[in-house]
Amino acid sequence: MDQPRMTLRLPPGTEDVARLLDEVEAFAEQAEIPTALAMRLALVAEELAANVVMHGTGAGFFAFTATVTEAGVAIAFEDDGPEFDPLAAPAAHTEEGVDSREVGGLGLHLLRKMTRDASWERRAGVNRLTCLLPREF
Amino acid sequence: MEITETSEGGKAVAVLDGRLDTATAAAAEAKLLAMLGQGAVIADLSAVRYVSSAGLRVLLKAAKQAKAAGHGFAVAGLQPAVREVFEISGFDKIIPAFDTRADAASG
Repeated sequence: MDQPRMTLRLPPGTEDVARLLDEVEAFAEQAEIPTALAMRLALVAEELAANVVMHGTGAGFFAFTATVTEAGVAIAFEDDGPEFDPLAAPAAHTEEGVDSREVGGLGLHLLRKMTRDASWERRAGVNRLTCLLPREF
Repeated sequence: MEITETSEGGKAVAVLDGRLDTATAAAAEAKLLAMLGQGAVIADLSAVRYVSSAGLRVLLKAAKQAKAAGHGFAVAGLQPAVREVFEISGFDKIIPAFDTRADAASG
């Protein structure tokens, strides 16, 4: 049986993040991905895309691919923005109280918590991140 | 994302409907912070199927402003997937969450 798969390549505009989310939601529904897993998939997609939109000065595209496997959803994300390893950047401190809790870094925290087997490489001017969203979390 | 203003047990309620994400965060933030300028606010999230880190940032800013102003800020009606994101982010420890907005109003 074929594994359900989606791939989408977009220019990095704010409205393109919303477009990616629409497509991910439609894909999740069509591929009958369970609600909680579908939410994590959308979250990781948005996080990676929003990162390129906000920090990827000069980027011409981002590309998101999701493949449903037995273990979960395999994700590949590419962009041609500046070199950036999302696995190495500082993430939020989730133990802090409301006063000291900083507003940034949450997305990367969620990305790392929700995925497994993440790996990043920079090749020919392109950032490429691959990871697995496990079914059981 | 649609935000409707109502009240419950004398407290202001913002009813959010849709996705709280990169695209809708700015409008939601403006609305919640404006409401918090008047007093305590309960954010009813029962019709919110998706909250991303951009949405979490809005809720954190609201909680910070509420605390600075001495008002209450609580969320109500989290869907299971949204609750999961709250827990992973540690937000369950910094923003009071209730099953319903009636619980939030009396809690």
